[in-house]
Amino acid sequence: MDIDSFAGRLSFFFNAHNDLLEEVAKFRAARRIWAKVMKEKFNAQKPTSMMLRFHTQTGGSTLTAQQPDNNIVRVAIQTLAAVLGGTQSLHTNSRDEALGLPTEDSVRIALRTQQIVAHESGVTNSIDPLAGSYTIEKLTDTIEEQVWHYLNKIEDIGGMVRAIENGYVQKEIQDAAYRYQQEVESGERVVVGVNKFTINENQPSDILKVDPKLRDLQICKLSELKKQRNNENVTQKLTELRLAAQDSDKNLMPVIVTAVKEYATLGEICNILREEFGEYQESIVL
Amino acid sequence: MTKKIRILIAKPGLDGHDRGAKYVARALKDAGYEVIYTGIRQTPDAIVKTAIQEDVDFIGLSLLSGAHNELFPKVVDLLKLKNADDIIIFGGGVIPESDIPGLKEKGIRAVFTPGTPIKDIIAYIESAK
Repeated sequence: MDIDSFAGRLSFFFNAHNDLLEEVAKFRAARRIWAKVMKEKFNAQKPTSMMLRFHTQTGGSTLTAQQPDNNIVRVAIQTLAAVLGGTQSLHTNSRDEALGLPTEDSVRIALRTQQIVAHESGVTNSIDPLAGSYTIEKLTDTIEEQVWHYLNKIEDIGGMVRAIENGYVQKEIQDAAYRYQQEVESGERVVVGVNKFTINENQPSDILKVDPKLRDLQICKLSELKKQRNNENVTQKLTELRLAAQDSDKNLMPVIVTAVKEYATLGEICNILREEFGEYQESIVL
Repeated sequence: MTKKIRILIAKPGLDGHDRGAKYVARALKDAGYEVIYTGIRQTPDAIVKTAIQEDVDFIGLSLLSGAHNELFPKVVDLLKLKNADDIIIFGGGVIPESDIPGLKEKGIRAVFTPGTPIKDIIAYIESAK
């Protein structure tokens, strides 16, 4: 298969944390690495194949339950990191997500954060605006080098799937998360409002509560739907899906789309796929 | 010699946020406990089965999706049903303070929210064992 026939549609999902310059460098390093991999390893010809497209979400683990309004500032910094790093799209977390599902007010602030960065900050006026900064270039080089080290290591293991199966990738992530948390516990790493600058506070009273009745309502709607749809057609489409799943050359998407058009549910579709493929069992490493 | 305390860290429900659960599991292991971690997306049934099979003293439930009021008590009830309610259950995750009294009433003996130092969890285990 020709790499240029699909590489232009691949995209990535990154996280943005609080270390602004390091995060910008991380995104820049990712773009460099992708371009090199596509050009040199896969011999891509089209420039769009070498362009890294990516979505960013701000870092959930950076949100604190303490003094939750401080999270608005954290999310704003992370937003800037993503935009300065060249993200194509962005999900900003809400200030109260360490306390519960976000309220409408909190979600609005998260959205306004993006809009202020987009329309007021001016950082979108140039492409790669931090390029040429000594610190950014140095950090980008360092991260790129370390990522190549990882990529080579994963290659040595036998590829990414093998590296996940044997727990290598999870172990590296967990070790980093563990180190980070130990630094927080020891106070070596400051988290404002958590291990420094703490106050006596009460949790905000407006934490979102989801009404358990919503579940019953949804179950009712679902059983109503199952009565009203053409169940013969649904069964037929699900059988077609099963047959397609048994044929490794078949693309499942068109079959799934026709099943959905007959109002087959996500559960029914997934059950077929579970029966045919089994379920992923994560390899546990502590 | 006394038997080492055995702890099952488990994630019921559908959220995949396992950073906290894995941190707690490893930190408790480093503190000298025998720790078993279930992995994400477990049913209360599977958690109780593992707990009994592994003969644990504690189950630590981690949940960040908002379904704690539903799923934590289910684990308590199932343990009772299997005559294994000598196992102590504690919980953690994204849990509003206002939900904690209700959870305790239903048999979740302690709830640890974001920012809790690991020494607090260890102190709890030592006091409850």
